[in-house]
Amino acid sequence: MTMTAPRPDQATRPRRRVQPARTPRSARPPRVPRPPRPAPQGLGAVVGTASTMVTLVAVWALLQLLVLGGVAHDREQTLLYRDFRVQLAETTAPLGPTVPVGDPVAIMTIPAIGLDEVVVEGTASGDLLAGPGHQRGTPLPGQRGFSVVMCRAATYGAPCAHLGDLRPGDDVDVLTSQGRKTLNVLGVRREGDPVPAFTDPAAAVVTLISAEGQGRLSALTPDTTVYVDAVSSEAFPTPAGYGGVAPKAEQAMQRDTSALPLLALWLALLVGLSTAVVLARQRWSASLVWVVAGPVALSLAWLSTDTAMRLLPNLL
Amino acid sequence: MSRRLRLRPSLRDGLGLTAALAVVAIGLVTPPSGTAAGPVAARNASGDGFSATRTISRVFVGADGTESTVASYDVTVKADQTTNLRGRQRIRISWSGAQPSGGRAANPYGEKGLTQEYPVVVMQCRGRDDASLPAAQQLRPETCWTASVAQRSQVLRSEGESTWRRDLYADEARRAAVSGAESVDPAACPPLDVASYSSALTPFVTRAGQTFSACNATTMPPEAAVDAAFPPAEIAAFTDENGNGSVNYEVRSDVENESLGCNDKVACSIVVIPIVGLSCAQPASPPTLDDKACRKQGQFAPGSSNAIGAGIDLAVGPALWWSESNWRNRFTIPITFGLPPDTCDVLDSRAPTGFYGSELLAQAGLQWSPAYCLNKKRFKFQLNQTSDIAGFNLMENGTGPAAVVSSEQESTSTDPVGYAPTAVTGFAIGYEIDRPDNAGEYTRLRLNARLIAKLLSQSYLGSDLGRQHPGIGDNPLAMMNDPEFQQLNPGLSEITQEAGAALLSLSNDSDVIEQLTEYLAQDKDASAFLAGTPDPWGMKVNPAYEDIELPRPSWPLLDTFIPETENTCRQKNPSVYFSQLAAPVTTLRKISEALLDAWPNVQTKCDFDPNTLLFKIGRVDRQSYGARFVLGVVSLGDAARYGLKTAALQTHKGTFVAPTDDSMGRAIALSEQRKPRLPFVLDQADVAEDGKAYPGTMVVYTAAKLRGLDQDTADKVAQFVRVSTTEGQVRGSGNGQLPAGFLPIRKTGPTGKLFDAAQLVADAIEAQKPAPTTPDQTDAPTGGGDDAGTGTATGGGDLTPPVSDVPPAPVPTSPATTTPPVLAIADPAPTSATTVQESGTAGRLLPLLLLAALVGVVVQVGSRFFVRPPRRLS
Repeated sequence: MTMTAPRPDQATRPRRRVQPARTPRSARPPRVPRPPRPAPQGLGAVVGTASTMVTLVAVWALLQLLVLGGVAHDREQTLLYRDFRVQLAETTAPLGPTVPVGDPVAIMTIPAIGLDEVVVEGTASGDLLAGPGHQRGTPLPGQRGFSVVMCRAATYGAPCAHLGDLRPGDDVDVLTSQGRKTLNVLGVRREGDPVPAFTDPAAAVVTLISAEGQGRLSALTPDTTVYVDAVSSEAFPTPAGYGGVAPKAEQAMQRDTSALPLLALWLALLVGLSTAVVLARQRWSASLVWVVAGPVALSLAWLSTDTAMRLLPNLL
Repeated sequence: MSRRLRLRPSLRDGLGLTAALAVVAIGLVTPPSGTAAGPVAARNASGDGFSATRTISRVFVGADGTESTVASYDVTVKADQTTNLRGRQRIRISWSGAQPSGGRAANPYGEKGLTQEYPVVVMQCRGRDDASLPAAQQLRPETCWTASVAQRSQVLRSEGESTWRRDLYADEARRAAVSGAESVDPAACPPLDVASYSSALTPFVTRAGQTFSACNATTMPPEAAVDAAFPPAEIAAFTDENGNGSVNYEVRSDVENESLGCNDKVACSIVVIPIVGLSCAQPASPPTLDDKACRKQGQFAPGSSNAIGAGIDLAVGPALWWSESNWRNRFTIPITFGLPPDTCDVLDSRAPTGFYGSELLAQAGLQWSPAYCLNKKRFKFQLNQTSDIAGFNLMENGTGPAAVVSSEQESTSTDPVGYAPTAVTGFAIGYEIDRPDNAGEYTRLRLNARLIAKLLSQSYLGSDLGRQHPGIGDNPLAMMNDPEFQQLNPGLSEITQEAGAALLSLSNDSDVIEQLTEYLAQDKDASAFLAGTPDPWGMKVNPAYEDIELPRPSWPLLDTFIPETENTCRQKNPSVYFSQLAAPVTTLRKISEALLDAWPNVQTKCDFDPNTLLFKIGRVDRQSYGARFVLGVVSLGDAARYGLKTAALQTHKGTFVAPTDDSMGRAIALSEQRKPRLPFVLDQADVAEDGKAYPGTMVVYTAAKLRGLDQDTADKVAQFVRVSTTEGQVRGSGNGQLPAGFLPIRKTGPTGKLFDAAQLVADAIEAQKPAPTTPDQTDAPTGGGDDAGTGTATGGGDLTPPVSDVPPAPVPTSPATTTPPVLAIADPAPTSATTVQESGTAGRLLPLLLLAALVGVVVQVGSRFFVRPPRRLS
């Protein structure tokens, strides 16, 4: 994986804690120093270190994707909601079609699957970390025409984990600067299902896209896209200027390789931090060093994983 | 078009040869054919102008009551265009045989032009000079526009300054101490009845009938406010020592000046008053101060300057244009205004059919649209200006029926698109440059590609602020300091202005920028300069633009240099200096207006706002007349409408080509069409080789889908192409005619191939040949395949089913849904099937991570127990 660089340092930390750096204070009874553990040699050292690294990387990544990512997503949603409600109140919320990527554009509620999220502009992998994303080049949800909204199925809060469970007739509420609109789910589409043709040019059609998996671990293996069409016969007017094609990274199941340089930067910083920790340990005690370096290491690891997520398919 | 429609039924009915012949004959007689253009254009050109000659003289009555003529001139006044004018259009007014002027002001417009002697006053007035008309429609000083009080009223003048009271021709009322004050509101005006002081007011009467007493700045019409939106247009123009003079006079419609209120229904005139001095009545005995002042003949020699605005002899100045002596010498040029831009919205309630795209067509569209909306057999044409690519996208996704573009655009749909040539025009480098020492406007600017490259690449420093810029600190500050420019355009002022470092250009995508950069790219010197080779004088390209890729559809702002300075305002507003100089705008119209007002869009003016205690950066002031230097990229249509001067561009060494019919025709002859129904391509290398073709020539095309349009829309587009390439190519200023700045497309000559191509595309648009259905449908689903096969345009392609292609055949067998009745799932057969996107990574990542974590833990635990011996117990 991509984040192996910093781990050796963390992994080797307990074994280096040997030299009696400070003389024990007089108040405490002198502790008998325990005999040092023999340092592992040869193959054992390699296997031990490697497995520690692998475990740390895998556990951290899982933790971040499934748990911490959810926390981050909740926080993003809270901030976006706060922004968006102010924009709604001030009637400065965007109407499209040139909304900056990452800005909140709508609030979408689907009671049937417990989805209640602020929709952001853009559907690249990085945009969907914050919540459901509205595909650029399509009208906003609720406006006349065909809009597309994508969201994640397994990680970062997994807002669309149960998208495939929607039933025809379920409500999809959208709230944008133009008002509130309730759309009705037309059905879930999977491979081979006919694409409905809409003959009414005045309708609003929202196509929700997420992913789902098969089998026992289906919640963790979202490898196939699933589409849900929701329609409303009445729609808000659509401003002029739509029609661009979203870049490749914002299509369903695409990855965003533009994150690579940033990822390289985070990883380089992590390597730098490891080196700094090793050097600092020569002069200061472990606890002191780690009190300082711990938060930095955590946040760097967090940022690296967030950035690495952008290299993964956007609906994961 | 009409000919075709009429032919078909008549042939089908088989009514016989007579009917067919009659129809053909009618078709041939109707004017819209290319051959008829010549005579019509000639008639317009001759009927459009104005010319008149009359004798004007100055008479003094001596103490003994004898009249003596002190000066007499046969003045001829000409104007080049007087009909169907538009707001802010500039028309050329010239005269000969007038009294030479003296004491020339730096700025002859408005109030600033008052301190001149023997000028020619040109102003716009409401009404006509025709005694047979009702009084309300007659022209009088009260309906003539001036932008300041001093130009129309003399308030509280002491004796010796009230020369108008001694005017030989003045009526009794004007000879009184206070005149023109009948309608004055005493509360608003200062008391005028002051002993030994005289006042003469010329109130202004608006079109609505309101009278502004014009006794001070607050009793003037709202458009005459200080720092009004438009600079003054009325001018006290200068006559040279041979008695000749000319001026580009800007007319104002009721859009710009509602109080004056000229439009297509309210007749207006331009009044030209050559000032020869007041004629004076018999002096008192002994002569009063006024008598002496009235007989003064000027302090300034003909041709001299009065840049500091020193006092003049009022009797020969322009301020008393309203006095009867001067007013009786007027030339009245009747002018008519064209239909206002909103005519179609007012007179035609039908929904407009909006074409989207290039601003190059704007002036033609303005004249063309009434020819559509006022003809019930045609549709309501509306030209909406967007960038070329945006218009094309709107056309492709069905929002607009057709796009107006100037080159082939990248297509994102599978429907074929045809490009019908609609007009030949282009872009130019417009400029407003004054020669030094009050010598008038510079009219023969010559530029080469490298100079344009220097301007666009922000390689001039603008001012000393730019000297700190890394790498190019030794470059000239602005174009006027560049030896290359000075060689091409000798005799211009070398005083640096920030506006001389910028070419006002477009900020968004445009085919104009594409062609301009193509012109730079083919020029060896310009491309070498941009690639980093210094010019022979050692000027280097701005490193931010070095090796910029050409041609390109839009010109980016790449410089990031923020100067360090002691200036508090700049410290509070740190910003990229060169971007403030360039400050591109979004429409060509804004550039034209910046040139028209000589108001560069340079955003470097720093102001302190005492209310908010903040510094703010804004646009610099208008340039003062006499020291103007502005350059901008303009369309030829705008340049012709607003009387903007255009630069001659170098094609090869020593040859400079200005936009003329001839040079544009040559460029069209050079352009080639690579495939039928596609645009003609003008290769700039051919232009350079030819030498006499204008590099900025561009053809504007109407682009429309050849498949998938509904027949109604297709017919409209085809009609537009046919009408605009026939009757729309007749030169003139009337409805439906082709304005100046456009080269007419004719059936023969260099533009003949454009005409043929247009008819071919019009037929194809009208035909709307349906595509073979099967391959199209297999195309759509496969487009969104796996990762590797996904193109830029697909991925979600199957999610937006075609709206209008599918016949409205709702089948009520939709699965138990609560679908609203208007929405129906059509028969699944003709639509595509859902294609899902799959990603192995997405499916396997989490399980693999889980597995890796488990394996890691197991190995770790195992190694604790089996590989490393446990700690000894002691």
